[in-house]
Amino acid sequence: MIPDSQTIRTAATEAASQLIGRPLRPGQRLVTSGLIDSLSVLKLIGLLEKKLRVVIPPETLQPEDFDDVDLIVETVERVAKPAA
Amino acid sequence: MTTHFEFCRQLRQRLSAHEDRVLLRVVVSPDFEQPREFTGKAILERAEQLAAPFSLPGPRCVVLLLLPHSPELFLLQLGLVLGGHIPAILAWPTSRIDAEKYQRNLVHQLSHLPADRLVTLPRLAENLQGSLPYPVCGVPVENAGAFEKVFPAAPVTQRLESGKFEPRKFRTDPDTLFLQFSGGTTGAQKAIVVTAEMLRAQFRQLTEALDFSSVDSVASWLPLYHDMGLIACYWMPLWHGAASLQMAANDWVLNPELLLKYTARYRVSFCWLPNFAFSYMSQRREQMSRHDLSSVRAWINCSEPVRLKSVMEFASAFADCGVRKESLQASYAMAETVFAITQSQLGKELAVVPRQRVQQGKHSYSELAFDLIDDVYVSSGKPLSGTEIKTVAADGSRCPDNMPGEIWVRTPSLFSGYWSAEGFQTHSLNDGWHATGDFGFVRDGELYVIGRFKDIVIVGGNNIFPEDVEAVVNSIERVYPGRVVAFGVEDEEFGTQSLAVVAEMKGEFNEEAASQLEAAIRKLVMTAIGTAARYVAVVPQRWIVKSTAGKISRRETRERFVRERLNSV
Repeated sequence: MIPDSQTIRTAATEAASQLIGRPLRPGQRLVTSGLIDSLSVLKLIGLLEKKLRVVIPPETLQPEDFDDVDLIVETVERVAKPAA
Repeated sequence: MTTHFEFCRQLRQRLSAHEDRVLLRVVVSPDFEQPREFTGKAILERAEQLAAPFSLPGPRCVVLLLLPHSPELFLLQLGLVLGGHIPAILAWPTSRIDAEKYQRNLVHQLSHLPADRLVTLPRLAENLQGSLPYPVCGVPVENAGAFEKVFPAAPVTQRLESGKFEPRKFRTDPDTLFLQFSGGTTGAQKAIVVTAEMLRAQFRQLTEALDFSSVDSVASWLPLYHDMGLIACYWMPLWHGAASLQMAANDWVLNPELLLKYTARYRVSFCWLPNFAFSYMSQRREQMSRHDLSSVRAWINCSEPVRLKSVMEFASAFADCGVRKESLQASYAMAETVFAITQSQLGKELAVVPRQRVQQGKHSYSELAFDLIDDVYVSSGKPLSGTEIKTVAADGSRCPDNMPGEIWVRTPSLFSGYWSAEGFQTHSLNDGWHATGDFGFVRDGELYVIGRFKDIVIVGGNNIFPEDVEAVVNSIERVYPGRVVAFGVEDEEFGTQSLAVVAEMKGEFNEEAASQLEAAIRKLVMTAIGTAARYVAVVPQRWIVKSTAGKISRRETRERFVRERLNSV
């Protein structure tokens, strides 16, 4: 089962904060601001998969799909599948 | 001596000999299932067709290619070479840039490089037309819309200084094939001049070391502005009539499994990758399906110091796919020698030496721009045929075996000069030797590379020059002029380096202003350099460390940053 939006939002905020090493501010951009690079997007995907127990297939995704918490929630809801 | 004419004649013959065989596959996103395929005959025809319409003013024109990953980029570069011109491939920006700043910066950088044409996507060509001292031509590529959306529909030329076309003052070597930038950014950089003789010498050496032939096959996500992507993964197979599959770096980063799918599907035998890619793919293993990778004769770790951890993780993670330890290989390469200098022996496991068995140098190397993090050093193999290597101590004396020093190289594929703002500049050699700026040692005839002497930061296999980053950050008004330092910090997880920037803030320091300035620095570095700075520290005045001579010390600032800030940034 895919978690609800609020759970994804919390997980995304935690994962992003963990990645940048400090609390993520509301609305803060991750990728287009230069805060994280493309390689770190894969780390972010890995953290989200663990926290939410889902698989996020990377096909057709772009780093910009993970640019802020709203986009991450939208992306996860759109493409995530429950982990086996 | 191989002339341009002779090289192109042979290349045509070789491609014609495989006229019905698919020699080039280019993956065009989002169609990952059916790469575009070109036989030897189609390559020749399409390459010449693409290069024909530019009405260049004469032979030996320097043509800058600023195009995204596409079949057209591969074929146009070849077509220009065959047509007697000299292409130079520039890095296409990421989609995360600020279009206006990027274009302004591009004009600034390219204005200083003598050339006859810039070829790019039609919309960008329209935007840049009249702002460079040479014409800008647009070439449509498949899926151009996806790339062009980054740039605004309205031309920004009126905001750029208008230029006038002047004939190029500088002459080129008649046997030059193409120019190759040694870093990922164009900056104020110099391009290495690759001649027919240099490329031919490199092919001879690599062919012998790898026993490479037309039955081999290569898969790559490495961009063409990188020597590994251009030479090993594109020109080498092309020369041999061997097949290559080319995918975009961006597609691989988000979906590293794609490379393995293609490797299995096309029975790939060679795959060149920078060190971080081995760690990166291993970490994604759990999410990947099982692909048959047993066709690969060599996974060649190149362009970053080879880390045992990265190699072993990969071998173990993909053992069930048919990856054998003896297929993991290493090479030491650089654009200055066209590409490879050493190659490990195929079919044999990589040699390793524990750090405690390596002697200390006679003299200290205070300028090391990296941490000594490895407990074990991995061999990059023996010099290619006709290549000599030595390591040199700080006092200029030759190091004995097992003692680290600066790596010097002498080889038939060595460059003789750069193409720069002043035209062709001869590179001075010391009795034919080139001092590489890399640090390592020789043991039993094999080279072990420890790191870079020079302050070049290698992020994911790409060279980033700290001076470029510092110049860009210095242009921000709130930064104290001249008080910026950029350097690399080791990323042990991925086996690569991360870019770090320390900048002093002008005026009285306060946290809120520092936070705003940090955001501005990140954005600008991404826009102008194309790489995210993993760490940005905005600090009060006089934080950056100066040497006793009063000059900014990159090394000591880096040490202070690692000590005091790394865990709190």
